[in-house]
Amino acid sequence: MIPLTWYLALSAVLFTIGVVGVIIKRNAIQMFMCIELMLNAVNLTFVAFSSYFGDVTGQLFVFIVMTVAAAEAAVGLGIIIAIFRNRESLDVDDASLLRL
Amino acid sequence: MDWFPTVTQLLFVLFGGMALGCAVAMVAQRNPLYSAISLVGVFVSLACLYVLLQAPFIAAIQVIVYAGAIMVLVIFVIMLLNVEEEARRPLRLTYLIPVGVLLAAVLVGEAAFMLQLGSGSARITPVAPAASDVGLTASIGTGMFTKYLLPFEVTSVLILMALVGAITLARQGRTPLLAAPGAPTEETPVLTTGRGQPAITPGDTAATGRAFAREQIEREESAAAAPAARAREAEERGEG
Repeated sequence: MIPLTWYLALSAVLFTIGVVGVIIKRNAIQMFMCIELMLNAVNLTFVAFSSYFGDVTGQLFVFIVMTVAAAEAAVGLGIIIAIFRNRESLDVDDASLLRL
Repeated sequence: MDWFPTVTQLLFVLFGGMALGCAVAMVAQRNPLYSAISLVGVFVSLACLYVLLQAPFIAAIQVIVYAGAIMVLVIFVIMLLNVEEEARRPLRLTYLIPVGVLLAAVLVGEAAFMLQLGSGSARITPVAPAASDVGLTASIGTGMFTKYLLPFEVTSVLILMALVGAITLARQGRTPLLAAPGAPTEETPVLTTGRGQPAITPGDTAATGRAFAREQIEREESAAAAPAARAREAEERGEG
């Protein structure tokens, strides 16, 4: 049987990859996808604990996290489209000023 | 045969490795579309891990919501915006690389220590998932609509807010939204000179606006006076 720590370690590594991606990427859409990866790593932890402790609460949390991720996708992609419309670029370095 | 991995462990290594490989590929790719495809790979691998954890409902909505809905949206935006590949740029702040390596080593050591501590602790006694009904749709629905009804309703409000926000953000320019049913439809006030071209052009000032309004009023008055004058003339001719 798989120890719980395997799942926790995998989740930690996935989360770290997501953090590294957010830091090193300059494309707004790729940063956005790295954030989704971090949310998924947390979801894996939730499901692992929920399953190993026999409690359904963790999986309900996962449901809510997925809802937040969907809302984030809608709003975040709307912001990305608005930025692209104003600056003709998705590079976050080009969007470092609040004014146009 | 204690060292021999069970089928479950082999599957964990397979899907965990797939998830890690796809995640690394996602970060390493410079083309956003390849990144998105790699991310779909991560989602599917995680769904398989959820099945291993006996959470079939979460696995299903992982595939439906993440791999189905969210990634379609992301790929749609990538296609819509015609995103170019990320340009290679020289590294900056190279003298900080040793510091980064050191901090990463500290982080890895800390995580390994905590995992070791957690596995040896007697306070938490995780039991390996037996054939339970925790992850089934019925038990999740029961929990969601009894004990956790308020978070569920708050979630629906959140989705409504996201919907309105996304529409507001992505709206092109200042086109008016649809009028409420029953409300008088508002015509966009465009002044024309009567010959089709707009009366007000960029650069016009208040003085030109006033002159235009005076011209309009005069034309209307003369148009209103014309039939009456014709009628009076006809009367005079009839008498004569």
